[in-house]
Amino acid sequence: MGSMFRSEEVALVQLFLPTAAAYPCVSQLGELGLVEFRDLNASVSAFQRRFVLDVRRCEELEKTFTFLQEEVRRAGLALPPPEGVLPAPPPRNLLRIQEETDRLAQELRDVRGNQQALRAQLHELQLHAAVLGQGHGPPVAATYTDGPSETSPLLQSLGDPHQDLRVNFVAGAVEPHKAAALERLLWRACRGFLIASFREAERPLEDPVTGEPATWMTFLISYWGEQIGQKIRKITDCFHCHVFPFPEQDDARRGVLQQLQQQSLELQEVLGETERFLSQVLGRVQRLLPPWQVQIRKMKAVYLALNQCSVSATHKCLIAEAWCATRDLPTLQQALQESSSEAGVSAVVHRIPCRDMPPTLIRTTRFTASFQGIVDAYGVGRYQEVNPAPYTIITFPFLFAVMFGDVGHGLLMFLFALAMVLAEDRPGVKMAQNEIWRTFFGGRYLLLLMGLFSIYTGFIYNECFSRATVIFPSGWSVAAMANQSGWSDTFLAEHPLLALDPNVTGVFLGPYPFGIDPVWSLAVNHLSFLNSFKMKMSVILGVTHMAFGVVLGVFNHVHFGQRHRLLLETLPELVFLLGLFGYLVFLVVYKWLRVSVAGAASAPSILIHFINMFLFSRSPTNRLLFPGQEVVQATLVVLALATVPVLLLGTPLFLRWQHRRRRRRHAGPQPDEDKTGLLDSPDAPAPGWGSDEEKAGCSGDQGEAKFVLSEVFMHQAIHTIEFCLGCISNTASYLRLWALSLAHAQLSEVLWAMVMRVGLRLGREMGAVAVVLVPVFAAFAVLTVAILLVMEGLSAFLHALRLHWVEFQNKFYSGTGYKLTPFTFTVEDE
Amino acid sequence: MLESAELYFNVDHGYLEGLVRGCKASLLTQQDYVNLVQCETLEDLKIHLQTTDYGNFLANETNPLTVSKIDTEMRKKLCREFEYFRNHSLDPLSTFFTYMTCSYMIDNVILLMNGALQKKSVKEILVKCHPLGRFTEMEAVNIAETPSDLFSAVLVETPLAPFFQDCMSENTLDELNIEILRNKLYKSYLEAFYKFCKNHGDVTAEIMCPILEFEADRRAFTITLNSFGTELSKGDRETLYPTCGKLYPEGLRLLAQAEDFEQMKMVADHYGVYKPLFEAVGDGSGGKSLEDVFYEHEVKMNVLAFSRQFHYGVFYAYTKLKEQEMRNIVWIAECISQRHRTKINSYIPIL
Repeated sequence: MGSMFRSEEVALVQLFLPTAAAYPCVSQLGELGLVEFRDLNASVSAFQRRFVLDVRRCEELEKTFTFLQEEVRRAGLALPPPEGVLPAPPPRNLLRIQEETDRLAQELRDVRGNQQALRAQLHELQLHAAVLGQGHGPPVAATYTDGPSETSPLLQSLGDPHQDLRVNFVAGAVEPHKAAALERLLWRACRGFLIASFREAERPLEDPVTGEPATWMTFLISYWGEQIGQKIRKITDCFHCHVFPFPEQDDARRGVLQQLQQQSLELQEVLGETERFLSQVLGRVQRLLPPWQVQIRKMKAVYLALNQCSVSATHKCLIAEAWCATRDLPTLQQALQESSSEAGVSAVVHRIPCRDMPPTLIRTTRFTASFQGIVDAYGVGRYQEVNPAPYTIITFPFLFAVMFGDVGHGLLMFLFALAMVLAEDRPGVKMAQNEIWRTFFGGRYLLLLMGLFSIYTGFIYNECFSRATVIFPSGWSVAAMANQSGWSDTFLAEHPLLALDPNVTGVFLGPYPFGIDPVWSLAVNHLSFLNSFKMKMSVILGVTHMAFGVVLGVFNHVHFGQRHRLLLETLPELVFLLGLFGYLVFLVVYKWLRVSVAGAASAPSILIHFINMFLFSRSPTNRLLFPGQEVVQATLVVLALATVPVLLLGTPLFLRWQHRRRRRRHAGPQPDEDKTGLLDSPDAPAPGWGSDEEKAGCSGDQGEAKFVLSEVFMHQAIHTIEFCLGCISNTASYLRLWALSLAHAQLSEVLWAMVMRVGLRLGREMGAVAVVLVPVFAAFAVLTVAILLVMEGLSAFLHALRLHWVEFQNKFYSGTGYKLTPFTFTVEDE
Repeated sequence: MLESAELYFNVDHGYLEGLVRGCKASLLTQQDYVNLVQCETLEDLKIHLQTTDYGNFLANETNPLTVSKIDTEMRKKLCREFEYFRNHSLDPLSTFFTYMTCSYMIDNVILLMNGALQKKSVKEILVKCHPLGRFTEMEAVNIAETPSDLFSAVLVETPLAPFFQDCMSENTLDELNIEILRNKLYKSYLEAFYKFCKNHGDVTAEIMCPILEFEADRRAFTITLNSFGTELSKGDRETLYPTCGKLYPEGLRLLAQAEDFEQMKMVADHYGVYKPLFEAVGDGSGGKSLEDVFYEHEVKMNVLAFSRQFHYGVFYAYTKLKEQEMRNIVWIAECISQRHRTKINSYIPIL
């Protein structure tokens, strides 16, 4: 947890990898996942890098793998996930894998080609059989059965000389969707010099390529004349028809048919044999492919990482630059030594100074991950900046619960989260692909805490599914009130509403031990009582939360060595915030403690006091809370206003003064300027990423000359305005705590009154409570989960998120960093 | 069409418009071209294209890689996108798509007839046909001997049929007649497309009409240029000009009388749009050809089409831009494979 306070120290290291050992070293680093490589060849395009040939080889292999995988998938088989630890193979193994893969692919291609050819042949035979077996009738007769109106004039027009002309036939099969077009085209192109009959084949045939069954259309065209025949052949070619010889005699046809059936039987046998062989090859692929895929992917990743290294002048070693957490440096050193020991020359690591902002590394556990996720979703923290996540662990569920306070709803949420937490190690739960489920599952610990805190605030609000519970005896006594004021029966009958007066002795016995007194749930002024309470609570929580944010800024300033900002920024900010809104909180608490029931009639109004504070005026009717209040108020306002110019001008003027002093110092020993610049840099702790303001004004030592006062001023002015106005609007923004908790309470109240209460009353009237209650409770349960838990829960979550991102984090968190993304194989394994 | 078509444009075509705009964003950028030009071999080109939206579209090609393979794969990719658009389109838009394919169909038909004339096998020519203009009856065109034959037997059911009304003749199809047929078909196609867009109104008309006007005029110029020194008579030439362009009617009449490039240029000088284009044409060596200048202008118009919303022009513009991009890649690939690097930079930049 300590490491969560700020991101870990990350160092830029230079790795000298001997050429012979570079590959195993990087592969080992990939297994460990410690370092993030920096691209040293950013200016070199992808295909001009050193290891591009190896990468290309890996890609070639992957292409073959895709082919094999596709074949396996087409055969309806699945690849088993690879087992065991599979390190990146040594480069020399690549050739072996490549050879074996190629052989396997070639074999598969051959077998597949054979199978394809056989299938096509079979298909052809079956089509032929279908055409012949179709029995398009005695072909000559067909010419007459087509109807006399078309055929008779045709025959006559041909005239006697053509009587002896033979009628020829073209028979074949065509795909069903083309049949109509073919028929039309034939008719148009040949002007009725033919008679075509189309028929559906008796049974669907499997397509040799796709394997889908299709019912082909068989056709028989009878025509006269050779020219027409040529035309017909051209047309059938263009439609990719299968055309078969068509013996005219029935007997011949039958003979051919039998022959065809014989052939197709033989062919089927051969095909079966081929398929058996194919499944053997596929089995081999299934066994070999998954480990290879992982290995080659790792290999490619290693080469891509190596491509980012630069080559030393002597070509003896590769130089890589990488970010690595300081804590991991020994591990890194050891790993490199181990993997380079074979080569004889050992790889060397050494830290190098760096001006760039290092990446942010915050190690999380399964518990803290979701909270860190909330923070990172806003922006990854600057390097070594105070990380809001550890505080978010408590404040986020708490603020959520303030809006979601209900024991029953909280309990349901808690149990749901608990179930997920208990089942988190089960593979089925972990592997679930559903995106919505994964979102919930990822935030299970967050939900757990949210549920717990909701139960807590639910007890404070004394609400369980909007019903109050009586755990302790109520602090109010109706009996005492009735006895003391002597309410008569007629008085009671006339007045439906009766007031309990706490000033009467015995009526108010003392505050309820924990939370809201259940008696309030019966009162008509329940809402106005709660509103006043929740509103004040929101302001108190808000001001505390924001003040905490400002205080966290202190750690940033101290860590980045900008102590001037403590005095010039944090202090004025605290004075401004606490002087105005802290005082308001003080007034609220003071009034709670000091103004009792007895003085209720003349109790001072905080609102009027607060308004008067800014107007420097007083209203005679409003009693003072404490003596000397006006002096205190005037002082606070003046103090707060006085901090504004400090905030606005302080930092820029200080920076200018600092800059001038530094320049004067530099101006003295002119020739040593370069040296001092170099010597200075380690002294000033990381000026490059110290702060945005300075970065805007002067970045590093070269920036000193470029110190632009106006920019610094502009930046500070924006910051000041944002803070001062933000104090007011952010405080108001925290009132959403009140608004949402009110909304939640009212919604659950309405649900109870409209569903359960009606159900209970109905049940009593009809005398069958249980029967009516079943559907009523079902409706109540569904609505509770859908509206109160899911919908309200999401909206409360959203508002809690906003309060953290905007109101809390803008006090100290810049979130302009980037994450350390180490070079690792683990992601690629998934 | 009602005045406020914007109101319900998205109901029918919003998805596709979003899609096509997304596709347009994936066109190669200037930086991509700079990188492509640096490639040493086609393999490098392929590696670089993999980093763009083309992805690994060449992954399943067997070695060695050739320019024509790249071209075919790119065409296939465009065709897949186009088919997707077309399959998801509703009526006015689907008609629009049909009009778009017609130009490719005309080209394919002519290509096939030319092939038949030179006694080449149909299969050989089929691979050269543009996949966007493919249709079933296409392969049967070589059974026809005259244009009217062609129409009544083969093309009567295709979308090309209405464009045939002007070119029904009994002339045998020799090379010149085929060329005339192509131009006549194109003329009536352009006029019909223009009329369709005009009638559609709205932004579609505002965007598409200038593009089609330019297309018509470009054809007129090209026809004129190509007819110099052929046996095509001036009267015949005039009948080939599409009449929906800015040149119609005076410009076309002048153009019909033109006898060389200079006279053509004088005609163009009367038009503010074309004058700068003709001035940009370089003379002989170096400089740009008229074709390139026209392409550049076309690209400019197509890019501008994306600045308006709720119209069909984006689909046309996208297809044309993609085609231009493909031409560019093919040009670069050719230059690389023929080691002719001096001219590699004369692709048409897409803004």
